[in-house]
Amino acid sequence: MRKQEEVAMGGQLVAMIDVVFQIIIFFVCTSNMQDNARDAEIHLAVAPHGRVEAQKNPLQVEIEVSSRGRVTVGRSPLTERELYDVIRKAINDSRPQQVPVIIRADGRATHAMVRKAMDTCTAAGIMQISIAAFKEKGQ
Amino acid sequence: MARKKRQTENQAGELNLTAMIDVAFQLLNFFVITTHPVDVFANLDVFRPAAEKVISKQEEEPPPMLEVMVYRDGYAMGKRPMGLRELDRRLEKIAGIDKGSMVVIKCTGDSTQTGLVNVLDLCAKNKLSKISIFSL
Repeated sequence: MRKQEEVAMGGQLVAMIDVVFQIIIFFVCTSNMQDNARDAEIHLAVAPHGRVEAQKNPLQVEIEVSSRGRVTVGRSPLTERELYDVIRKAINDSRPQQVPVIIRADGRATHAMVRKAMDTCTAAGIMQISIAAFKEKGQ
Repeated sequence: MARKKRQTENQAGELNLTAMIDVAFQLLNFFVITTHPVDVFANLDVFRPAAEKVISKQEEEPPPMLEVMVYRDGYAMGKRPMGLRELDRRLEKIAGIDKGSMVVIKCTGDSTQTGLVNVLDLCAKNKLSKISIFSL
């Protein structure tokens, strides 16, 4: 009787370890989803003395500007009018809190390209913006 | 016959250590291959005034400010062209006197984002936090 119980316990333990490993693999594979929302082709300039990016604010709007001047939010290309609408909506949804706007522009992008995004922010009522840069490159 | 049956039961009851070590090494390999160093990002806070506010401010008495120009191929301060090192020295000197000084960065359309970030980085290094960006 005791032997049968031991056999059953051993079998359950193996299954449990198997499930735990499956869960670990699942979390490891899905945890970089947030990074995938960012355009990997954007190579930020390096600012070793900049303030370290704090915990991501769920209200923040990240505007990406590629080296060719393509403006995207969450990988969706937007026109200036659409970007304006996105920022205005974020402002309306987050009242009375201020919407943090971060511009992630490629280091090779000209200021004329980035200016469009900056001017749209200003037109939408955002005067305080953050410029994203690499503090330390991983590789 | 009875001894054989008892041995089989013992084998089934114990955890298969060899298989578990095998799986553990498989996982270790997986993590080593897939893990890569994390990029650390920095945020450089700036003020981007609206065009109409600039005009109204010009009518008032302008506050003391430093003007840094960002060109495609270099920088200038007070119309004097300079490199990053000299700009750093100048900013360090000014920050030593007053860290509350207002820095106005004026970028030409053909200047790169790297040029702007370099100036913002020097401002962060010298603890100058009141920064405005203007476009030319």
